[in-house]
Amino acid sequence: MTTTIEYRNVSMSFGTGAQAVRALDPTNFKIGNQEFLMIVGPSGCGKSTLLHVTSGLLKPTTGEVLLDGQPITAPGPDKALVFQNFSLFPWKTVWENIDFGLRINNLPRDEREARVRHYIKLTGLSGFEHRYPRQLSGGMQQRVAIARSFVLRPRVLLMDEPFAALDAQNRAIMQEELVRIWSEQRSTVLFITHSVEEAVYLADRVMVMSRRPGQIKEVIDVGAVTGASHWRTRPLNDVASDAKFQNLRHHVWESVRSEISPLVGA
Amino acid sequence: MARALVSVASLGLLLLLWWYATEVAQLVSPFVLPSPGDVISGLARVSEGYMGGSLMEHFTASMSVMLSGFLLALVIGIPLGILMAWIPIMDRLFGPLLTVLRPIPPPAWIPLAILWFGIGIAGKTFIVFVAAFVPVLVNAYVGCKETPINLLNAARTLGASQRTILMEVVLPSAMPVILTGARISLGVAWATIVAAELVVADQGFGFLIMNGYRNFEANIMAGGMLLIGVIGILMNLGFVWLERVLLRWNAEVR
Amino acid sequence: MSNLGERAYAGVLMLGRGVTVLAGLAVWVVLWWGVVRIFGISADFLPSPADVFSSLTRLVTHSIGEGPLHVHVVASFLRFMGGFVLAVVVGIPLGFIMGQYRLLDWALNPIFESVRYIPPIAWAPFAILWFGANFGAQTFVIFISTLPPILISAYRAMQSVDPSLIAAARTLGASNRTIILEAGLPSSVPVLVSGLRIGVATGWMALIAAEIVAGTGARAGLGYLILIGQQTLQAGITIGVMLVIGVLGGALDYALQLLERRVMHWR
Repeated sequence: MTTTIEYRNVSMSFGTGAQAVRALDPTNFKIGNQEFLMIVGPSGCGKSTLLHVTSGLLKPTTGEVLLDGQPITAPGPDKALVFQNFSLFPWKTVWENIDFGLRINNLPRDEREARVRHYIKLTGLSGFEHRYPRQLSGGMQQRVAIARSFVLRPRVLLMDEPFAALDAQNRAIMQEELVRIWSEQRSTVLFITHSVEEAVYLADRVMVMSRRPGQIKEVIDVGAVTGASHWRTRPLNDVASDAKFQNLRHHVWESVRSEISPLVGA
Repeated sequence: MARALVSVASLGLLLLLWWYATEVAQLVSPFVLPSPGDVISGLARVSEGYMGGSLMEHFTASMSVMLSGFLLALVIGIPLGILMAWIPIMDRLFGPLLTVLRPIPPPAWIPLAILWFGIGIAGKTFIVFVAAFVPVLVNAYVGCKETPINLLNAARTLGASQRTILMEVVLPSAMPVILTGARISLGVAWATIVAAELVVADQGFGFLIMNGYRNFEANIMAGGMLLIGVIGILMNLGFVWLERVLLRWNAEVR
Repeated sequence: MSNLGERAYAGVLMLGRGVTVLAGLAVWVVLWWGVVRIFGISADFLPSPADVFSSLTRLVTHSIGEGPLHVHVVASFLRFMGGFVLAVVVGIPLGFIMGQYRLLDWALNPIFESVRYIPPIAWAPFAILWFGANFGAQTFVIFISTLPPILISAYRAMQSVDPSLIAAARTLGASNRTIILEAGLPSSVPVLVSGLRIGVATGWMALIAAEIVAGTGARAGLGYLILIGQQTLQAGITIGVMLVIGVLGGALDYALQLLERRVMHWR
């Protein structure tokens, strides 16, 4: 079973009549099996909308999204979504948060325990199992959110600026952590970010979106430049000075920059 | 530190003025404003037995009626509020009724309750119920409606059914608001039982005050008011403590 | 042109919503009528909707106590305004001053807090003793219950004023009085109006409570009417006037809600 995603004529409009807002123009696109796709673009360009449509939370105004040939009609644990503000259940402990998805999907108890334990270890949360989210730092909370998603072995991982709320140092650490966790069980990833550097660093491909109404402006094949040894397999520090990295980053930045409007909300 | 000093000084000054005006300079008749000494002796007398009941008996009388009405309000109000928030038809059915009945002040129900239930415990329980019902229901409703949409989305992406979402996301999320509603409701219930006992004066603290009034015993009146206030404070503190214990996970709980 | 279309659409939506509300109410009225009819409940106990309606209309023309319905509405209203206006006149300036002068805040706050837990209605017997059961008692109880929300809102309004604004005013040499009047007042209007709204709600409740506790010592008022209805076994009057009280209270709150919205609009 592969995990390819295909967008056929997918567009999204909100509201009706004269006040309708077109967030996403009809989009046709294919994402490959186990691909790590980074999405960048100015604010309001429809990236979040695209993600929500892919997750099944939103029904597109036109077109459909196909997961391995099957249309996506509803949200589910196979299309895990990681939010910018973590969205952990504040009344549950770390353990209970991670266990939640497994429990409601009726996994047997020993299987649940084994998996939760594994992912707590994998995300570096050992010792914090019985803490509440408010007792954890931002970086720790995001680890819990990631563990909560990964524990269900999702086929698709949707990440909506997951590290935007973290400081620069935590962000760098989390990027490495994510790659490490992801390598163990490769979902297809859609990752939205405002950081061009983060995009080029992590991506197989980078999708640049235009400003509203969102369209795919450009797709840059990072994998073609890096070859087999992706930049994400090495620390960002080492990679940052690579000339090819810098070129690509510049290219992407210029592409995004021309889409940024001086007006708020345009 | 300075703040505490000023507060104590100010209260002390007030107490002093009161004592001076009533006991020393005798500026006001003890029928109009009792002196501190009178109030204390009045309280002592009441604790031994007053009008067919000791202080404890009056306390139990007020408390038991209030608690019955309050608990009834919780048992009916919380589930109804949740249902109204969760099922649109319930909202459309009960919403208008609530809009009409809500602005009727609970004391306005007292005569009707007397008409329907007579001047007994049932009537007073009913009035307390009516008073306590609204804050509990409204808070349960709002608490559920205001579940953060991100949490709902997170649950959905994890594969939760609607029922699971209600039980495992909406209800825990609404718990702080529901508890606040219960706390407010308790205060309202207490005020209401006092009001009911002022009108149907046969037992309880409201009765104490009313009877004091009828017997020209201003000190008993004041003593009753004082006790009512103290009990109100204690109940409120108790509830705040309960909230803190039940909602350990909540950063906002003071 | 599309603007007109949007307005019409919004209007239709509101109409639709209004219809649903009325439909919901209609269900209950029919249920009420049905219960009375089917179980043959006596009109002394639970009058039918028609009975209540006729009782009310009768009250508009015939007198009970000091006069027909409107006399009682006016009596209640006067008491309400008396207590409310007094609370505003005392509460807003006091709240502002307490918000500005910390020492006064520290001194008055504990007195405030200790009295706050005595339910306003518990003051009623003393109020009757001091001010008489016809007007003074109710006004006093309303004052006691309305003062806290108004005072607190004035206090908070003062505290929420942007400190940099005050600092700027001070460096320009403004006196404390000027600061309160020109910097504090305008920006605190929304908070004040919210406080007023809460005050009206509590005050309206206190009014009815006081009128009922004062009993037939007063000879006019909506609470008086409800009592008379119960005492003379005319449940139609009791229920009818209860509904009138509800409608009036709701209307007052709605009016203030509009004011609140208007005032928020400036922000």
